[in-house]
Amino acid sequence: MSSAYLETAAAHGALTVSLKNDWVFGNVGPLRRALSGVDPGDSRRITFQCGGLEDIDIAGAWVLFKRSQELRARGLETDFQGFKAAHFKYLQNITEVRDAAELAAEARSPAANRRSVRAIESLGKAATTAFEDVGAISRAVIDGVKRPSALMWRETIRQIDLTGVRAIPIVVLVSFLMGLVLAYQGATQLERFGATIFMVDLVTISILREMGVLMAAIMVAGRSGSSFAASLGVMKLNEEIDALRVIGLNPNQVLIVPRVIALVVALPVLTIVANLAGLAGGLVLATVAIDMSAIQFIERVKTAAELESLLVGLIKAPVFALLIAAVSTLRGMQVQYSAEQLGKLTTVAVVQSIFLIIVADGIFTVIFVRYGI
Amino acid sequence: MESAICVRGLVNRFGSNVVHDGLSMDVEHGEVIAIIGGSGTGKSVLIRSILGLHRVTSGTIRVLGREIRYHQPGPERNWGVLFQTGALLSALTVQENVELPIAIHSDMPADTRAELALLKIRMAGLPVSAAAKYPSELSGGMVKRAALARALALEPRILFLDEPTAGLDPIGATEFDQLIAYLKASLDLTVVMITHDLDSVFDVCDRVAVLVDGKVVVGPTEQVAAFDHPWIRRYFNDPRALKARGKAADG
Repeated sequence: MSSAYLETAAAHGALTVSLKNDWVFGNVGPLRRALSGVDPGDSRRITFQCGGLEDIDIAGAWVLFKRSQELRARGLETDFQGFKAAHFKYLQNITEVRDAAELAAEARSPAANRRSVRAIESLGKAATTAFEDVGAISRAVIDGVKRPSALMWRETIRQIDLTGVRAIPIVVLVSFLMGLVLAYQGATQLERFGATIFMVDLVTISILREMGVLMAAIMVAGRSGSSFAASLGVMKLNEEIDALRVIGLNPNQVLIVPRVIALVVALPVLTIVANLAGLAGGLVLATVAIDMSAIQFIERVKTAAELESLLVGLIKAPVFALLIAAVSTLRGMQVQYSAEQLGKLTTVAVVQSIFLIIVADGIFTVIFVRYGI
Repeated sequence: MESAICVRGLVNRFGSNVVHDGLSMDVEHGEVIAIIGGSGTGKSVLIRSILGLHRVTSGTIRVLGREIRYHQPGPERNWGVLFQTGALLSALTVQENVELPIAIHSDMPADTRAELALLKIRMAGLPVSAAAKYPSELSGGMVKRAALARALALEPRILFLDEPTAGLDPIGATEFDQLIAYLKASLDLTVVMITHDLDSVFDVCDRVAVLVDGKVVVGPTEQVAAFDHPWIRRYFNDPRALKARGKAADG
């Protein structure tokens, strides 16, 4: 039998396998096939004749070595001959590190835990982490409030700029479009009853009570929540947080509290901005798409908008802000090991922020309806 | 035969700051060469240029007869790189990190791939138990070794090491030097290393390349040590350098 990489010849119960060409990494597939084609037949002894090799590297030597081990396991004698000195050291390398397959088996972990045990474990873990989370964030806030420092205020102002001022354009745009959509939907439905004018009430009340603050909060959760988690996470990975601690700064105080305060200040303002933009959206639609004058729209807004509606929206803003800031800074500080974990926790920060906003909004609505506000 | 690495007329400029000013050097097959130089002399930029990771201002670089172009495919199959901080992919275990280049460049069956990867991990001096760990679970020295295993995964002909012994304790550093010397001897590797470790320079390296004034002074260690340049004189006559030279001479 012969192939591009070896030739075999049997004589007197011994099989000689002459190797040739390049036994290198790139040829491992064909080499394995060629070797597994070596059939000892009734030979008791196999000699690998290596004098004709052009080149061999660890991958090639490993394939050869492994095949010879397999043949030995079947009770045959194997032997290597004619290795050039340069080639021989490769094989030595391999015999020195023992049988890697054996090692692989050794590396495999003992039997995996039973599924039920793991489930209970993870339930317990989730419960304790939930407690720990609440503890960590309360501790951070108490820390910061106890001994506020000058640095903290500077960072707070910077964060208000980053999370509040710079969010204005996108919040305006999104709320404006939301107002537009609400007005359009309202107008087409109410037109059938000849009550187009009540579209203005619909837009005003829904923007002021719900949509303005929700839009602002969701945009902030996406923008600042992710940025808090990611930036704190990278600082954690770079040991910047540890560096702050050893120079005597409390990271809770200089990093977390400023972010929390910044959002609590910025979100109510953004809510007012969103309210105005939403109403502007309604106004634009009313004048452009349906037969209503700007004066009519504004007059109607005046009667529909009660102070109560505005306050109902505004009172939610600081609560939403607290939720976003708490969740996303906490997730950022939980980054410990790797870039992948950073990505995962950033996602968690945003998703949980938005989830908590919606849940909190539901609770608010129930309370307000109960008390007839 | 052409040298393993040929750099001709390399110029690298950052704004008005000229890092390399017409630098030319060759790295021969089978040698271990150390790149040394003060901070900001462009050691890393030189390596990054050779690896095609940096857009050079001008000049040509050839590695194993292939011209290197910025972010273009090069001889990835034939070189291995050990980055300074290891640069192991944190989402993968050590085993998966080492298997990754093999999986990309070969169609070998998965079990052979796993065995070869484990072989490289053992060759880099790591215990088998390290294979299943994630990089974040390893100590600094083990990360270096795991990164070396990945660099060796493809049976490279050239190995680039960026400060291989930085951050290792003296025992670990010496072991690492011995490992490099052993691998070089048994795998016919060409090794290019950036190092600040004088012991490595004297123990492992055949030649040194000193970056000064945007140019390079290359030669056998003792010859370069005698070169008349203020920085080179200071470097090789520093008390630590003299101690390392003495040790190397004794050894």
